[in-house]
Amino acid sequence: MNLTTEIEFLVGAEKRLTDVLDEAQTQPLLNSAVKAGVGFAAIVDDRGVPLWSLGTHQPLPIPVEEDWDATCRLLLEGEPVGAVCLIRGQVSSKGCGIMAHLIAEALNSIINNNLKRMLTTEIHTRVVNQSYDELLESNRRLTESEKKYRDLAETLERRVQERSGELKRAYARLIQQEKMASVGQLAAGVAHEINNPISYILSNLNMLRRYLGKMASMLEHYRELHASAGSEKWQELKLDMVLGDAGELLDQNVSGAEKIIQIVSDLKGFSHVDDMGESAVDINLEIDRTLGVLSREIPGDARIVKEYGDLPTFEGNAAQLCQVVLNLLRNAFQARPRGLQLVITTEHKGENIRIRFSDNGPGVPDDIRNRIFEPFFTTRDVGQGTGLGLTVAYDIVTGYGGTIEVENRRQGGAVFLVQLPVTGGTHGQLR
Amino acid sequence: MIEYDECEKRMVLKLVYYGPALSGKTTNLLQLHDLLQPEGRGDLMVLDTKDDRTIFFDLLPFFLMAPSGLRIKLKVYTVPGQVKHDATRKAVLQRADGVAFIADSQRSEITNNFNSFQNLEKNLGFVGLDIEHIPLVVQFNKRDLGGIVAEEEVRRVWNPSGIPVFMSSALHGTGVLETFVQLADRTYEHIDSRYGLAGNHGLDKHMFLSQLVRRRSDYS
Ligand SMILES: Nc1nc2c(ncn2[C@@H]2O[C@H](COP(=O)(O)OP(=O)(O)O)[C@@H](O)[C@H]2O)c(=O)[nH]1
Ligand SMILES: [Mg+2]
Repeated sequence: MNLTTEIEFLVGAEKRLTDVLDEAQTQPLLNSAVKAGVGFAAIVDDRGVPLWSLGTHQPLPIPVEEDWDATCRLLLEGEPVGAVCLIRGQVSSKGCGIMAHLIAEALNSIINNNLKRMLTTEIHTRVVNQSYDELLESNRRLTESEKKYRDLAETLERRVQERSGELKRAYARLIQQEKMASVGQLAAGVAHEINNPISYILSNLNMLRRYLGKMASMLEHYRELHASAGSEKWQELKLDMVLGDAGELLDQNVSGAEKIIQIVSDLKGFSHVDDMGESAVDINLEIDRTLGVLSREIPGDARIVKEYGDLPTFEGNAAQLCQVVLNLLRNAFQARPRGLQLVITTEHKGENIRIRFSDNGPGVPDDIRNRIFEPFFTTRDVGQGTGLGLTVAYDIVTGYGGTIEVENRRQGGAVFLVQLPVTGGTHGQLR
Repeated sequence: MIEYDECEKRMVLKLVYYGPALSGKTTNLLQLHDLLQPEGRGDLMVLDTKDDRTIFFDLLPFFLMAPSGLRIKLKVYTVPGQVKHDATRKAVLQRADGVAFIADSQRSEITNNFNSFQNLEKNLGFVGLDIEHIPLVVQFNKRDLGGIVAEEEVRRVWNPSGIPVFMSSALHGTGVLETFVQLADRTYEHIDSRYGLAGNHGLDKHMFLSQLVRRRSDYS
């Protein structure tokens, strides 16, 4: 007879008492009970039907008592599935109880061990009961189907992985978009509030400077006319120094106000509240803007070298580009808070625009180099960052069909290289 | 689902406690065992891990009865967290009806949690289950310890996923029942319409949960 039995392994598959116990294991125990003087010894199932028994014949089945003495229950995966049942011959009922309890205990541990053994050996096991030729044939088929199965499993794993990766990235993007939107609104609000007052401050300052000039020349004029009377008072009030200093104070105020106007306009430009769509982007200008916005985060002793090449304009969303630059700059600032030397290089090469950030930080260890663009992966303390910055940069750049890579410099430090395809950009001219 | 036999009126369900090694999966089951009345549940079966190299998991079975006479057995398993026991984890996950992911709140365990969750996603796919659809709850355990990830941090990360998250200290029995009840709740929702638990068997969710979770009176 050629019979193939397959045992598909499944933890939790229902088992019966007869699956985990057999006669060879129960008989010696029942035997010893009978030898000790018990009239009838049996292992019964949950309906009281004897599965194995020994001794004087008894009417079957044995009535199940409402609550069988818990101590002689047999448990399978925690569930009562049967019991040890001893009917006294010459043994006292107390003795019977103790014996039943001992036997149940022994059987429960055998059941547990058998269950463990089954679970162990059944994992991925097939029992094949066939002639040798058929065995070979089935082996060949088995290998084939196993290969198919493995292929399937592999693509499945990959697909699940891809999918969960996509989900995580989409989630990261959402968070970041939300953040950017609120930064943009804030920037627009601040810019609006500051723009008006600072504009009239600046124009008033200029006006004041002109008035001051007029008053100064009037004073000169008086001094020349009344040299003797005025000269003493002139000296006393130190008007030479006052006039010189007043001009300088005004100059400083004007340049301060101009600086504020520049910052506001950087902030506005950076947040790109005005243009969320695609346009022709001057990458060098956007890097400068971003540096402007980040100026407070730049470590005091940092040295930043800009080596900008001649770039064609890039067709894309300027806000997104700023976000990439901002995240890579921040990354550099955090990598080396003291003594940072950062070189920012841009160049146009073939079909690509390349932006390179090389720092003199600790570099990126080999074992995590593949992971730093993963969402939530961070080597920094909580609070220093969400672990999303590089992921967002990665998403934006790859969204444009570009690449972003990190390498360690031989002399220490990391280089982040962003490559963006020029597609659609026209050299040197805005559209 | 492990088994559904309409003629025999039997249904066997499987819930799995997943997570990294030592996150407190076994402790969760020990506490469930202690917090709930013996009525309606079996004994906890802890497969000792010391001398057995192949299978490490724990099992706590529950027994329910629907008004229609349908007997439901619900087996709650833990998986071994160690990386090398991946085969056992797959076998335990097979045909699971719901999963509780037990994370260790300690900051030092962040990476282990992450890896274990990825492993869960991978293995669910492997046994043909879908992480998007299987009833899933997450528990951040060991809240009683120092050096743990702050709750708002946990919520910030997990809330967008829509997966219910519970803070617990399994060692002291807090958060354990909440996690279990929510998992059972979701599992019921998941299978009810397909198997007509309420419609054909007269077992509504409230009844299902109250049969499953019978607190010992001295704990309530
Ligand atoms: N402090 C603390 N320790 C816990 C808690 N839960 C579990 N543990 C301990 O963590 C260790 C591992 O627990 P266990 O349940 O065996 O983990 P498993 O590997 O996931 O099954 C044990 O020493 C437990 O006592 C908890 O809430 N707080
Ligand atoms: Mg355990």
